[in-house]
Amino acid sequence: MAITLEHYLVVGALLLTIGLFGILLNRRNVIIILMSVELMLLSVNVNLIAFSTELGDLTGQIFALLILTVAAAEAAIGLAILVVFFRNRGNIEIEDINSMKG
Amino acid sequence: GMALLIWGAFRGNRDFHVITLTAAALMFAAAAVAIVSPTGGGFNNLFVNDAFSRFCKVVIFGAGGVSALMAVTFSSDTFRRFEMPVLMIYAATGLSIMVSAQDLMTVYLGIELSSLSAYVLAAMRRDNLRASEAGLKYFILGALSSVILLYGMSLVYGYTGGTSFEAVAAGIGGDASFGLIIGLVFLIAGLAFKISAAPFHMWTPDVYQGAPTPITAFLATASKMGAFALVIRVMMEPFADITAEWRQIVILLAIVSMVWGSLAAMWQTNIKRMMAYSSIGHMGFALVGVAAGSEAGVTGCLVYLATYVVMNLGAFALILSMKRAGRPVESITDLAGLSRNRLPMALALLVVFFSMAGIPPLAGFFGKFLVFTAAVEAGFWWLAVIGLVTSVLSAFYYIRIIKIAFFDEPTDDGEFDAADVSLRAVYGLSAVFLLLFIAFVRFVVDWASASASVFA
Amino acid sequence: MEEIITGLTFYLFAAVTIASAIMVVGSRNAVHSVLFLILAFFTCSALFVLRGAEFVAMILVIVYVGAVAVLFLFVVMMLHVGENRLFQGVRRFGVVGVLVGLAVAAELIIVISTRAFRQDTPAVASNPTTADLNVTEALGQILYTDYFLLFQMSGLVLLVAMIGAITLTLRQRDGVKKQSIPQQIERKREDAVALRKVESGKGIG
Repeated sequence: MAITLEHYLVVGALLLTIGLFGILLNRRNVIIILMSVELMLLSVNVNLIAFSTELGDLTGQIFALLILTVAAAEAAIGLAILVVFFRNRGNIEIEDINSMKG
Repeated sequence: GMALLIWGAFRGNRDFHVITLTAAALMFAAAAVAIVSPTGGGFNNLFVNDAFSRFCKVVIFGAGGVSALMAVTFSSDTFRRFEMPVLMIYAATGLSIMVSAQDLMTVYLGIELSSLSAYVLAAMRRDNLRASEAGLKYFILGALSSVILLYGMSLVYGYTGGTSFEAVAAGIGGDASFGLIIGLVFLIAGLAFKISAAPFHMWTPDVYQGAPTPITAFLATASKMGAFALVIRVMMEPFADITAEWRQIVILLAIVSMVWGSLAAMWQTNIKRMMAYSSIGHMGFALVGVAAGSEAGVTGCLVYLATYVVMNLGAFALILSMKRAGRPVESITDLAGLSRNRLPMALALLVVFFSMAGIPPLAGFFGKFLVFTAAVEAGFWWLAVIGLVTSVLSAFYYIRIIKIAFFDEPTDDGEFDAADVSLRAVYGLSAVFLLLFIAFVRFVVDWASASASVFA
Repeated sequence: MEEIITGLTFYLFAAVTIASAIMVVGSRNAVHSVLFLILAFFTCSALFVLRGAEFVAMILVIVYVGAVAVLFLFVVMMLHVGENRLFQGVRRFGVVGVLVGLAVAAELIIVISTRAFRQDTPAVASNPTTADLNVTEALGQILYTDYFLLFQMSGLVLLVAMIGAITLTLRQRDGVKKQSIPQQIERKREDAVALRKVESGKGIG
């Protein structure tokens, strides 16, 4: 039962759906959303690595490296905004983020 | 950008004005450099500097410079952060790199660079709950959309073996495999978010209202232009020979954004939210040009975007000068009776909003006209009809504002303070540009078609 | 025999990754989900090693587990996210969510398996992995030569992230008393010691 490319793609797709539902389903707080975004980025990396080794071509791994750095930067900024929001708001529950309507 | 940052770090916020002015000057200089820069590839064909990217860079840096200028006057004493112009410069560089990308990776990094600085700019006012909430919403949806974009890119890479546009085009070889189409769908979904096309536009109203006005001006003009130029480049270059696939998606996006943008803007009270919906509507019109898929379509898009940027700059300058006793005021009813006490401002408002609605003599009309003719040529006459109907709809709420400004009685809480000279300059210039557009429409159209020829 | 081993290890790691991903989303306590996130990163990097991209796997461990997870732990601790209210919202439409989730996941899997992944992998592999170099050297060669622009831009992105984080969160509280070492060191003898002539029995006036 050789491990083909499809197996990795399935893992990537599953991670993506889990991450997506992490964002949609939870009614709790924003940190879970940031974490599921990280999960989805992980799934993109899985995809890229699977394709890169399948095709025997390094650009996929270069792309994965770049995604890692940018994801770290994104997480940093996301958490900074979260901290600012938390200072103004007191807690980071999802329901209360609706002070603007229309 | 770096020098300004260091200067700001040492001098702190005292000379906020000086730094913002230099930032604006730098951006205009960059626009000048962009015009004159030679054509040519670079960095192992990750980067190309052709007519198309020059056209977009001029518009981006111009819009960035003007919004930096507006930021100079806007800085009420509570909000004097020297980092703002620096971040604007970085966002503008990100956009300009993105526009002349030849490789999916450069596209991704360009988007990340410009949207990361945009998230921070949107949440810049730390003490104001609305700004931080706008920043948070913009961040979450932005992060989600770049993940979707990435997933699309990874699939496209998988099925074509390369990330540079030529490799992708070669890899497709006409028969798009099933996986590639899925990658394409994800890619379009991610990009559609960046230009806030209809089904993905949820973030636009809140962010436009929450963010400080010059930042909103920057978002509405420069980053929209960059993102849209990217849509054109990505759709026309690598996926040129499977236009059939992506055309229906783009048409769907165009229709939904046109309808949704015009309808939702009807009963807005806050003018910044209304601007958000009007920008969604405009994006829909420009998408009609992309759907046409032909060179004429791209020319129409570029002209439309150029006029859209100028109109928005004028409109935001007006919004910025809507200040009463030092306190910015944002609801539409405050415009009542403007013509009585602030005639020049009212006239500028008249010109800007009429041209937004697309009334013939003014600039807005030409953009719409070109885009619709391109669509009809490409055989989508029904798309052009929908476009016309929605532009009539959108004309309604533009003219409503003009009615309020001219015919309603001025409310008792007094008139606006005198606008600063730079604001008056901005909306004066944009009004003049829109009026005299007929004079040099030929020049702009030729320039746009020259840059569109890249995709011939 | 070797096939089976790789097969087994793949399924083991894949299962652990998926399970921890589900736990990240489903766990009641935010700290638990951060820990599961770390577990997911670890097992995923093991998958990469299995696949042969060991450089990226190591970088993944260092960058993600080292920086991002610690960052999350930091913020979760700092904002002491209320654990108790964490879970009541989900039950209401948990069932529907799970069903829809399965549907989407199934759909994606079907799509993947039916994909006519053309056997003739496209000829254009822009930088083929040559046998003699191991992956790290090969990556190093092309990263700094061909993709130099990207390397610079990711540096710029990190700079923007830094500026952003500082402008948003740094609070200079000017009221706070700060210790300034140089000042303490420079205290001269004069301003510390003062000679007084004291008549006996009278104290300093």
